[in-house]
Order: sequence, then structure tokens, then C-alpha cells
Amino acid sequence: MNHAINTVDSVLSEKISAIKSGLNVYSTGSVRLVREYIVEATGLENVSYFEKVIIGEGSEGYVDAIRQDCILIALTRIKGKLQVGDKVVSTGEEFTANYSSQSVGHIVNMFGEDCLAGKTMENLLNVKVETEAIPIMDRISVTRPLLTGITGIDLIYPIGRGQRQLIIGDKKTGKTQIALDTIYNQRDQEILCIYVAIGKTKKEVKDIYNQLLRRGAMEYTIILAAFNDDPAPVLRNTPYAALAMARTHLEQSEDVLVVIDDLKRHADVCREIALLMGKTPGRDAYPPDIFYAHSRVLEMGCQHKNGGSITILPICETRGGDITDYISTNIISITDGQIVLSAKSFEKGQKPAINYGLSVSRLGGAVQEAAMKRTGPPIRRELLAYLEQREIFELANIDEMGESMKRSMIRGARILDMLKQHKYAIRTSKESLTMVQNLDRGE
Amino acid sequence: MGIELAQSENGRLGRIISVSNLRVDIFLEHTDLGIRDMVYTDTDFGRVLFEVAEINGYVASAICFGLTNGLKRGMDIYKADGGISIAYDDSILGHVFNSYGHTIDNTEMGQVPTRNIYDKSLAMNEIIIDGDILWTGIKVLDFFAPMRKGFKMGLLGGAGVGKTVLIKELIHNVYQGLQSNSVFVGVGERSREGRDLYDEMKEADLLDKIAMAFGQMGDNAMSRSRAMYSGLTLAEYLRDEKKQDVLLFIDNIYRMVQANAEISSELAHMPIDNGYSPALLTEISEVEERINSTEDGSITSFQAIFIPADDLTDTAVHSISQHLDGQVVLDRKVAEKGLYPAINVFATNSKIIDPEIIGQRHFQLVEAALRCLSRYEELEQIVAVLGIDELSEDDRNTFFRARRLRNYFSQPMYVAEQYTGINGEFVEIGDVLDDVSAILSGECDDEDESSFAYIGAFMKYQRR
Repeated sequence: MNHAINTVDSVLSEKISAIKSGLNVYSTGSVRLVREYIVEATGLENVSYFEKVIIGEGSEGYVDAIRQDCILIALTRIKGKLQVGDKVVSTGEEFTANYSSQSVGHIVNMFGEDCLAGKTMENLLNVKVETEAIPIMDRISVTRPLLTGITGIDLIYPIGRGQRQLIIGDKKTGKTQIALDTIYNQRDQEILCIYVAIGKTKKEVKDIYNQLLRRGAMEYTIILAAFNDDPAPVLRNTPYAALAMARTHLEQSEDVLVVIDDLKRHADVCREIALLMGKTPGRDAYPPDIFYAHSRVLEMGCQHKNGGSITILPICETRGGDITDYISTNIISITDGQIVLSAKSFEKGQKPAINYGLSVSRLGGAVQEAAMKRTGPPIRRELLAYLEQREIFELANIDEMGESMKRSMIRGARILDMLKQHKYAIRTSKESLTMVQNLDRGE
Repeated sequence: MGIELAQSENGRLGRIISVSNLRVDIFLEHTDLGIRDMVYTDTDFGRVLFEVAEINGYVASAICFGLTNGLKRGMDIYKADGGISIAYDDSILGHVFNSYGHTIDNTEMGQVPTRNIYDKSLAMNEIIIDGDILWTGIKVLDFFAPMRKGFKMGLLGGAGVGKTVLIKELIHNVYQGLQSNSVFVGVGERSREGRDLYDEMKEADLLDKIAMAFGQMGDNAMSRSRAMYSGLTLAEYLRDEKKQDVLLFIDNIYRMVQANAEISSELAHMPIDNGYSPALLTEISEVEERINSTEDGSITSFQAIFIPADDLTDTAVHSISQHLDGQVVLDRKVAEKGLYPAINVFATNSKIIDPEIIGQRHFQLVEAALRCLSRYEELEQIVAVLGIDELSEDDRNTFFRARRLRNYFSQPMYVAEQYTGINGEFVEIGDVLDDVSAILSGECDDEDESSFAYIGAFMKYQRR
């Protein structure tokens, strides 16, 4: 107690004497400690929370905590070597992302730099990274479909404009591919697509860029990338920046699709920063506000009353097919449904490797066109009954089964087969419906 | 509305000396201050409000109601009169509030009486524990977990197994059936669902009988935590002043505990397991003890409880469920089979599963059904290895009857019509008892198991 008062007293009296002697204690400070990308600095008396600061030879960061005797800075750009005693200058401006409407067709980062051309985009706007939530009363129901071109999704677990639908599964189960198919299927849809890469390698991002470019999908797509080797605070803030950019379009009544690849990596980055900053760890050492870290990103997804929408497809990587770990269940509890991918189906060649039992759409038929809405639910029930029966009666001889069960087993297998689809081999709703009608033909 | 601020001529309380993403520390110039008092600072970007959480000599820690971006050391802090308060009169019905007592449905309340949201709990002599049985029309609930007026029913489930659908079905069946006034508290859930609920209530012409308070998942921890207290105050008004039987729907009370953990961590408290606030039990009890019935009126509550990481032994979940009179547990394994509501009947229970209250027949049927279903679980493993042919005649009967029963407990729900494409059904308990009895006794052995899935009453339907 006494200690606290003494500290405050001494800080206050130091400040007063500094002001009296005419020193500029307000806008500069000096580095006291360097820990990875976290810098502790003294001085900077007048700095505000989340303000952008410049350190040493042009390194940049934002104020992540103002303490009684120092400030903590998270670095977003590291230039040269950082040393104790380096000068820290406040800018008087909030830390923001930069966005240019000319970014379409490019790989950019949250500062508006074109990563392939290696230069900054023109006509940059400052976009606030953290904004207040979209009010409940500004939202309306999600009813317009966003078609992925994948029968197993459009028919059984449909996605609507303004929906948040999670894509979750192990490594190498085709998560990103579902998102890319969906982006590809948005040609002629007047919807802006933003693919957000969090902690991907440069090679992976370039590959995705080439795939989309080759199919003409970059014409309406922005790749917003925070690479593996960018400072962790950049990785942490990129999803918020992405949604802030999407929000500028939402406010113009436009439709936007945002893919976030992936949030598990984002959670790990948040954990890394929190632990380095000395915050108390919670479950699995994640910071206690990790749920909020994700919920406030995903809550930006909505159908706005002005007619615009932000649809979000977050991706989450699991281990050993376990979707019940902490981060996964957090995200599932935020999104409006999930598409679960299974390594087992993938290996068996059932692609897209959707686990139809564990996948969910909380909006269901509300976002489907009438014909799809009529056909989808019965197909889903038949399929789920088949998958369960197949497991229990694995050893039974199909010839000895009752007539009705035999029929449902055969039909179930056909449905499953119909749902197989190669990448980028997208189907229209009409094509999907025709395939359903043809299920019982050709025996 | 709801917040009356002291005039600044009362003098400055102190100045900010530190800022983090949820908390500021204030160096006090006078100590006329208590915890849960409200303070504020005026900035270029508007007024920022805080609630005092801790006072240590001349330093107070306060939690921000919104974003702390832009706050700096040296900013002047003033004290607001009273703490967080919310409207406390008839005008609450039909309105939507945020956690801090402001309406968020684009309406103005005008000058109305208000009450502090932390006002204390009931004395023991005020609490009444008996009430009439309350049927929900949901087969599996009425059968395995019947409830009565004044009950606290928990709806526990991991992510994405159908808690919200179930709570909405209960609103549909119980609230719309009883036509008594209700309060809905949205804590840390989806804003989209909040909006949809508002629209549905409006469409059903029920908006004038419900008051809602929301602190949703896009809002900061303070807002999510305090929505619970604000909502409770609304329910207490209806109980204590209007002397009514109130239905209180909470979706989702776990999120309050979660938000408190975030606040506690910001205050640098030592956490208990999984990062929860050390005061977890105190916080839950403070809220739960306010949800009770008195001679004036009753509060019947339905509390959705999120199970993090599908871990039923989680400290927060466990601590909340200690307060419940009954619980319904939703299970991913059942959901995976496409059977909704996806209830795990073994973990589901109610205090009134007692022959003296629900009657001998119902009681015995519950026991028989549980026996049959638990045997099925064992047999399922045997069948997976050896095949169905290896079972004895008796076991084979049990196996198929259990499967019929399991399918029978799925139900088309009104609010799930868009997923199932089937019209919802309200099923009378008498029909449920007849059907369960018929399935267990073998009367339905000739029927295909698929004809039991997603139906209302079976025997009645057949006779028709």
C-alpha cells in the first residue's frame, strides 16, 4: 500500500519538476527492456492506450499497457536492432490498419502494402482495428443464400449471407479448399471476397494466389496476409483489421465474404503475446479472454438492415480429429454452425471429407431457396440414419436384412457417393437437385 | 437513462495513472468511494464509464464499460451518483436493455424509477419452495426431467448441440402457453439470435409481455457480466412489485462466469483451475440466490449452461449446477446421430422424479426406460463386435425396443421447423407415458424403428 503511494508520489513529483524545468516529457521516452517483440519504455507521459509509437531506427508498435512507471509496447514492425536506451516517440495517433479500395486482386498486409510488388498501395485509408460491436437492432435475419457450389454444403448444411460458418478439421483434410471453392463460386455474385491468411507460409499464400488467379477469382478477391514470420502482434491484429475493412464495405450496403485461415493459429499467437506480457494464463495456458478475442471478430459477421452483409468462414485446425478441445468448442459456440472435416473420410476418398454427423447449420432452411429447402432435410435424415446403421450393422449381411432396411442402406450409400466432388468442380443448385432426383435411377 | 451523473462541481475524484485493455487505475484525491460505484472521464471521443472494482489506499482500480483505446495517464475522473441501475416499473415490458440500463431498441424511456442492479438477495423466510408441475410439451423433458413453478432448470451442453434451440422451444411452449410475463437475459451469446428473438416475439404479438437484457459476445467482459444483474432486476420487479409468476430465460449463464474470469485476470487475482476467478462460487451464489420464489410471486428459470471443451466436470459448470433443481444434458454423441433434442438421458435429472409428486406410474416408467436404455449401451458394443445374431432373444428385444424408444424421444420442434421441415408438436405427458409403456412392453415390436423418429404422440396417432 505504502509502496504504491510512494511510487505514485515519486512519479508525480518527478513529472512536476520535469515540467517546471521545461523538459518535453510528453512525447518521447526510452526503451528499458526488450523481450522478443515486447518493449518496455519509460517516459511518454502523455501517450494514450493503443497509440502508435516509433522506436529506434524506425521500428513501430502500439501501446498495449500503460503502467504507473512504464508503458508496454507491442512491436508491429522491427527495423534494425533494438537496444535499451533507444528513443521512443509517440505519434499522437491511434494504431490503425491501412486499406486501399484498390487492393482487390492483390496480396496485401494490414498496412496496405502490396506483398508481391513490394510497395505501398495508393489512396490508403486509416481503418480502426478495434471498433464497438454492431448493435443488435442494426441486424436483421440472415435469409439470402451464399452458395459454395458444394452439394454437401448447399443442400445439407447451407450457408447464408451474414452467417458465420466454421470449417474445422485436422491438417490436410481440405479445409482451405472448401473456402477456395466458395470464393471461386462467387464469380458474377457481386460479393467482395477477403481471404485472410494468419501465420501461413509465404509459399502457401502464393500458391493460393496462383490458384485463384488462374481461375479469374482474384478479380473480386483480396488476400490479406500476416505471414508466419511477421511479428506476433501483426498476426494478432490482422483478423480485426480484416473485419474493419469489410465493415467499410458493409456500411456501403455491400456484401462481403471473409475467410479467416486460421483461428487456432490466431489463438496461439494471442497466448504467446499474453504470456510474454506476464498475464495470468487460463485453460491450456490461453489468456482468460481468448473467447472474447474470437467472439468480437466473428460478431462482425451479420446481415445489416441497410442490405449489406459480412459472411465469415473461419477455419480452425484440430489435432487427432478432436473438435472438443478448448479453442474449437469456443469457436463452435460463436459461429452459426460448423462444417467438420474428417481425416478418415479424406483417406477413403470421400471428398470433400465432410463429417455429416458432426456438422451443423444453425440457420438451415432459412437461407435456402424453396427447392433446396424441400429436398435438403429429408436427405440429411436419410444420410444420418444410414451412417449410424452402417456402423452398428457393419458385420451384418446385407442380403439378410429386412426389405426397408436394405433399401435405406443402398440409398444411403448412393447419397454418400453423390456428395463426392472434386476441387473447383462446383455445382449449381439445379445440378445438385438433378443429382438427387437421379438417385434412384440406374439400378 | 438509468445513470445519473454527479455534477462536476462536486469536484474531481482523481486521475488515471495506468491503463490496460479493460482496466484503469486511478490515483484518488479523496476516498469517498466504494466498490461498484460508477466513475467516468470526459474525453475528446465522449464520456467513458467505469465501475470501481478495488480500492487500495489512494489507488482505485476500475473496469471500463467499453473500449479503453485513447485513454491516457492524467485524465480526470469524476464520480457518478449511484452504481449501475435499471428501470424499475411497468414500462420495462416490451423493451430491450443493455447491461447498463440503457434501452437499445431505439426507444426512449423518459423519466422512470430505477433500481441499483446489485440490490441484495432474499431472506430465507421469504422463500417459498412448493409449486405446481409445469409441462413443457417436450417429450424427453417432461418424461425424464419434469419441472414445476419456481424451478431452476439447467440446460447443459457443449458447443453446437442445441441449447439455444431448446431454450427457444421452451419460450415457445411454456411462455406462449402460460401467457405470464417473462424476462430474457442474453449473456455472451450471438447478437443475431438476440435480434431474431426480438423479431419473433414481435411477430407473435408477445413483445408487450417480455423484457429483455443483452450483453452479447461482441461486447466486453464488463457488459457480458452485468447483463445478468440487470436482467435479474427486471425479473425481480415483476415478482416483487407486480406480484406475478415470472419466467426467466437465461442464455447463457456460463458466459457470466467466463466474463468474470476475464475481469478477475485484469485485476491480477490469482486464478483457480482453468483461469476462473477465485471468487467464482461467491459470484454464482450472489446471482442464483436472487432467483427464488416468494409469497408474492415465483421466478421459474431456464438457464442454458455452456460446457467448455465438452468437460462436464469443469469447475464453473459444476458450481452452477449445484444451484439447479433439475438439469437437462445435451450430448454431442446423440446429436451426431441426428436425434434432436440431443439429450443424454442418464445425466438428465429432476428433483421431482419422486412417486409422491409425479405419481407411481410415471416414476416406474422412468426407471424402466433408463434400465432399457442403459442395457442398450452395453449391447451396442457387443453387437459392434459380434453382430446382432449373437444376442439372446431377450437382449434382442431390449436392443430394438431401446432403439425405438431412443427415436421416440426425438421430437419435431416449432422453432426448428426450418431445419427439419416438419411441423412442431406439443405432446401431452399422458400420451408420452402411454407410448413409452407400449414401446417397453413390446406392443410396438412390429413397427419399424424409423416410424418413431420425429413424431408427436405415437399410439394416439396410430389409433387415429
